[in-house]
Amino acid sequence: MSIPEIEFKGYGMISTDPSMWSEFQVVPITPKNFGPHDVEVAIKYCGVCGSDVHTLTGGWGKKPDVPLVVGHEIVGHVTRVGEAVAEFKPGDRVGVGAQIGSCGECRVCKAGDENYCPKMIHTYNGVYPDGVRTQGGYSTGIRAHEQFVFKIPDGLELRDAATMTCAGLTVFSPLKVNGCGPGKTVGVIGIGGLGHYAILFAKAMGATVYAFSHSASKEADIRKMGADFVVSTHDLDYYKPLQGTLDIIISTIDHFSPDRPLKSYLSMLRPHGRFVTCGLPDADNPLPTIHAFDLMYNGCYIGGTHMGSKREAIEMLQLAADKGVKPWIQELPMSQAKTAVEGVKTGKARYRYVLKQDLVNYD
Amino acid sequence: MSSHSEIEFKGYALTSSDPLQWSDLQVVPIKPKNFGPHDVEVAITHCGVCGSDIHTLTGGWGALSKLPLVVGHEIAGKVTRVGDAVQEFKVGDSVGVGAQIGSCGECRACKHGDENYCPKMIHTYNDLYPDGVETQGGYSTGIRAHEQFVFKIPDGLSRRDAASMMCAGLTVYSPLKVNGCGPGKNVGVIGIGGLGHYAILFAKAMGATVYAFSRGTKKESDIRKMGADYVINTDDAEFYKPLQGELDIIISTIDYFSPDRPLKMYLSMLFVHGKFVTCGLPDADNTLPPIHAFDVTLNGCYIGGTHMGSKKEAEEMLQLAAEKGIKPWVEELPMSKVREAVEGVKSGKARYRYVLKQDLVNYE
Repeated sequence: MSIPEIEFKGYGMISTDPSMWSEFQVVPITPKNFGPHDVEVAIKYCGVCGSDVHTLTGGWGKKPDVPLVVGHEIVGHVTRVGEAVAEFKPGDRVGVGAQIGSCGECRVCKAGDENYCPKMIHTYNGVYPDGVRTQGGYSTGIRAHEQFVFKIPDGLELRDAATMTCAGLTVFSPLKVNGCGPGKTVGVIGIGGLGHYAILFAKAMGATVYAFSHSASKEADIRKMGADFVVSTHDLDYYKPLQGTLDIIISTIDHFSPDRPLKSYLSMLRPHGRFVTCGLPDADNPLPTIHAFDLMYNGCYIGGTHMGSKREAIEMLQLAADKGVKPWIQELPMSQAKTAVEGVKTGKARYRYVLKQDLVNYD
Repeated sequence: MSSHSEIEFKGYALTSSDPLQWSDLQVVPIKPKNFGPHDVEVAITHCGVCGSDIHTLTGGWGALSKLPLVVGHEIAGKVTRVGDAVQEFKVGDSVGVGAQIGSCGECRACKHGDENYCPKMIHTYNDLYPDGVETQGGYSTGIRAHEQFVFKIPDGLSRRDAASMMCAGLTVYSPLKVNGCGPGKNVGVIGIGGLGHYAILFAKAMGATVYAFSRGTKKESDIRKMGADYVINTDDAEFYKPLQGELDIIISTIDYFSPDRPLKMYLSMLFVHGKFVTCGLPDADNTLPPIHAFDVTLNGCYIGGTHMGSKKEAEEMLQLAAEKGIKPWVEELPMSKVREAVEGVKSGKARYRYVLKQDLVNYE
């Protein structure tokens, strides 16, 4: 295949008027200044993440600079590699997720936890030290430091891998960190993009899975995803029979309601069990109030997580290829990004939209 | 000493429901647990004074329904009688009893050795046995407990020193152990009172590097003598900034959460996936300060709780204390001066734990 010169452009938000948050126009993009450790990727697909919506709407508090191209569930083919890059070559199938930079020198980076580097740079709405703004994957191409580029194994389609680079990784990491595996029982709260991946990966890792959903309409799908038990959270006492049952709860709750105290979820944990909030609500939506007693009865922990490291991403992608993990995606042309982001905002996705890049044909 | 010494069970009790009388304790007779084959009877020589005692007596943890009430759950004494099925203990043994006195023995938590998380746990005081007998605590002459909740005090550790380990020590030892405290780990301890001083002593004994956080500087020289490697004054509004990402474990003994001290200050000091464990149990109306998901996301950290410790952890802790010569900072008072002790705890005067010497009956 001949290596294309990428004309960097994408579907960007151009107005800061809140009512125009989902109106995209094609805009040119200034890519990262190419360096010896960089990899350039011609984008084939990009998944649509809740983060895209929180960012575009201003819900996360930071008014974005426009034009802004979002999207951080990116897959495509390598077109060019810097001189110091040994892991990749042109033509490789790769993915890029929600992080595009770190300092590489701090204790966290040296421990292989670059997703927790205090100087991390996000794939969009961030800025490089040289002043170039980061623009995301609703576009024709992206350049990234090799640490943030993940090879897609044979046996895993690009279209399926796209949303694993953020949604998949965001739940795989805490499952792995908290010892998910055979003999463990995992609860997943909220079965959307993140939640459905938590079921798929927890099952692939050998655990027993309880899925919690308020949508009766999703029950048949959830069973097909492999959940062992489906619990409707409409029943206000749903948690009572499950006291002390779960080792890990992956919460994808995106909006915490004060009439759903955390303590009902926490009570379902075994001694020292872990409740991990993977969902990141708007800036004005804190966790429901907790008392120290809520943590005391079972010595449980409430935690957070931020994407995943490259090591975890590679492990996840290999697991997906080995076990034939098939995400539930709905593909749309990238020109229909508006439909997709509005669908995510209203909870319509079954269970993740993937945009097929349609500005330039790389085939 | 005879093998069936008759203990006259009596103790210093709260008798009035007037909140102003919370520290005015009167000697009353106690009805002990009905003695069974797995029970151990203990003649009490010492009982530590715990924050829980104050929270209970003042009604801070909820109105009391049954009076008179004898509190105290940092008990040390000598075995006077054992049930037929008891093999671990014999008359004359030095033993301790902590904050728990019963569990179901059958549930998953109990079978896993986590009886301190049994949903049917029974507390050493202000609780009820299935047969209706009220549990009364250690500001008294004696107690009976199921052997699972009685811990042998190793040679080399005095009852006076072991007493407050039964609750304060165990309450911090357990989360240190659960969260992998040991050589190479950095442990922060917030609040250096009874619990906090034990966290320093045990974390050092386990080989960790210890950062002690205290308001003001008046305790600084004591804290260094306890072995803390670093002492940080939390009156400095930016105390946490130089310590971003430094700590693996934070043992928090904060007993009152103030809204002007957001948790995120403390959480930011944790390394990736670090653990902040709240060991302090505030009054019922004092919730944790509001937390946003962002506060736990930036370093993937965890906020946890803990409840006493298992027998396995208690024995390990006592053995460590004996081997490493851990000396708690204890102020001993005769049990008749209990009022001074509980009021001292309430006003933060303890340096660093009061232990009451039982003075109603002489067992020597």
